[in-house]
Amino acid sequence: MTAIELAVAAPAPKRLQWMTATVREVIEETSRVRSLVIDVPGWSGHRAGQHVDVRLTGEDGYQAQRSYSIASAPETPDLVITVERIIEGEVSPYLAGEVRPGDRFELRGPIGGYFVWTVPLDGHLFLVAGGSGIAPLMAMLRHRAAANSDTPATLLYSSRTAEDIIYRAELERLDWQVGTKVVHTLTRMQPAGWSGFSRRIDRAMLEATCFPVVVRPRIFVCGPTPLVEVAARALRDIGHSQNLIKTERFGPTGGSYG
Amino acid sequence: MDDGKNRAMPLDGNAEGGLLRELFAPEMTAAEITCDGCGAVAAVGAINVYGTAMGAVFRCALCDTVVLRLTHTPAGLFLDMRGARRLFVASSEL
Repeated sequence: MTAIELAVAAPAPKRLQWMTATVREVIEETSRVRSLVIDVPGWSGHRAGQHVDVRLTGEDGYQAQRSYSIASAPETPDLVITVERIIEGEVSPYLAGEVRPGDRFELRGPIGGYFVWTVPLDGHLFLVAGGSGIAPLMAMLRHRAAANSDTPATLLYSSRTAEDIIYRAELERLDWQVGTKVVHTLTRMQPAGWSGFSRRIDRAMLEATCFPVVVRPRIFVCGPTPLVEVAARALRDIGHSQNLIKTERFGPTGGSYG
Repeated sequence: MDDGKNRAMPLDGNAEGGLLRELFAPEMTAAEITCDGCGAVAAVGAINVYGTAMGAVFRCALCDTVVLRLTHTPAGLFLDMRGARRLFVASSEL
């Protein structure tokens, strides 16, 4: 192969450009959370854990921009973002409220090379999510399932109530798959006969659910800032290497950037 | 003094990956940055970032030194890296 052919096979990265996204489908996940299936002509594909920036422009030219994790697996043609409605947010009330199929907005991505997991990384996978922080971790679980990976994976997922659990039915199906375990904790209200945890994530809960330190699990934590900081500190205290713990904080309000 | 730190709790550097890509062609959150304050080496995506209306301030997670400051102005984009000793991008990202 000549040098010219090599250059064609591996194009140099380009600076990100804003693209036009069109909403194809709106999926109600919970009363406050929606997933949007979007079409982006020229989309280059993504890796599990990456996000996109969304920019809305008002009639007066005012612009608001937020980041949203990609929830879909790289293997599927659909690009899906999951948005939680933040009451005082600038972008989420539209994306998780008024948006309709056919609507268009500006988007750039995929973004991120740090909070990313791909099947070839192998090893045990331990995921910790709070609220809508599940989105990038769901992309990892979907990617793992689509690639038929037998990497052992455990998800510890904190929600306020059972009704607030995003992707609930899909997580139940995943829990039945060999090598996958889904553990819920409900912090505010639990249904009758609830068998999961009933408190905020703490060290004891992480010790009970995470893989042993000796197997060196890759750990991804995503959610509101307080949850992420408590979980990351406890995991380090348990003995997990800082290098294996990757975090994505959503901010103090528990919303994904509003 | 408002140095961008008082606005809110920090997010992780990955939150501003898009802003970095306005200037850099490669994906920058996986790049390693060496703090000039304490010598700590960390992924850009792992250090603290304080977003502002005009840009973002990146701080060392260990010693809080400002290692990167990106500011949008009507005139253009400013990058201030006085607090960074070195930025390393792996060949796989180039």
